[in-house]
Amino acid sequence: MLILTRRAGERVVIGEDVLVTVMEVSGQTVRLGIAAPQGLPIYREEIWLAVKEENRAAAAAAADALPAGGAADAPPAESA
Amino acid sequence: MSLTVDSSRFGALEIHDADAIEFPLGLIGLGGLHYALLDRNPGSGFRWLHSLEDPGLALPVVDPREFIAGFALALSTEDRERIGAPDLSAAQVYVTVRTAPDPADTLVNLRAPLIVWEGRGHQVLNTAPGAELRVLLFGGVAGAQAG
Repeated sequence: MLILTRRAGERVVIGEDVLVTVMEVSGQTVRLGIAAPQGLPIYREEIWLAVKEENRAAAAAAADALPAGGAADAPPAESA
Repeated sequence: MSLTVDSSRFGALEIHDADAIEFPLGLIGLGGLHYALLDRNPGSGFRWLHSLEDPGLALPVVDPREFIAGFALALSTEDRERIGAPDLSAAQVYVTVRTAPDPADTLVNLRAPLIVWEGRGHQVLNTAPGAELRVLLFGGVAGAQAG
């Protein structure tokens, strides 16, 4: 792993088109600004890991694992 | 034109080119660039998002708007631009299904829906209130997860 020391306002360039700027350092928190091509998704690691886990869990379903009932049988559910 | 996928779950599947969905960025943690939706049990609301490249990769999905009252999407500007749909209500929306031995424990991931527009799909992050990683499909919210 490459380890760099940067101060607020300084930047790191990754490849030709990703620019990471240290916006602010406050205690244990670092604010980063990331400029990257539109097609390049950027995630917080914990969210990326959690979604990856859900995707993999879904992909583990057997062909006959789906509930027999469908939307018509589902009681009203609230998302919030 | 069509192609045949020798699915490890369903055997030989003939997929018409028009039914293929391109995911330019793949699915988070799974990759895969091309998928197709299979409606194996019409009327149930459940579909399979099946990889066209990996015969063993398929995820059950549902349209959350059919199951979850009040389901809403709140996406970043970057995700909206990536999707390209002028009106998200016209796009296809799916969420992955995490099956369980007891159907009552079936979970869906409202946090990272799959949006399909004009043959292209993107898995995006939904920041709408209540859009949790694990939501009981048949009512209620499961244990809140990171998100």
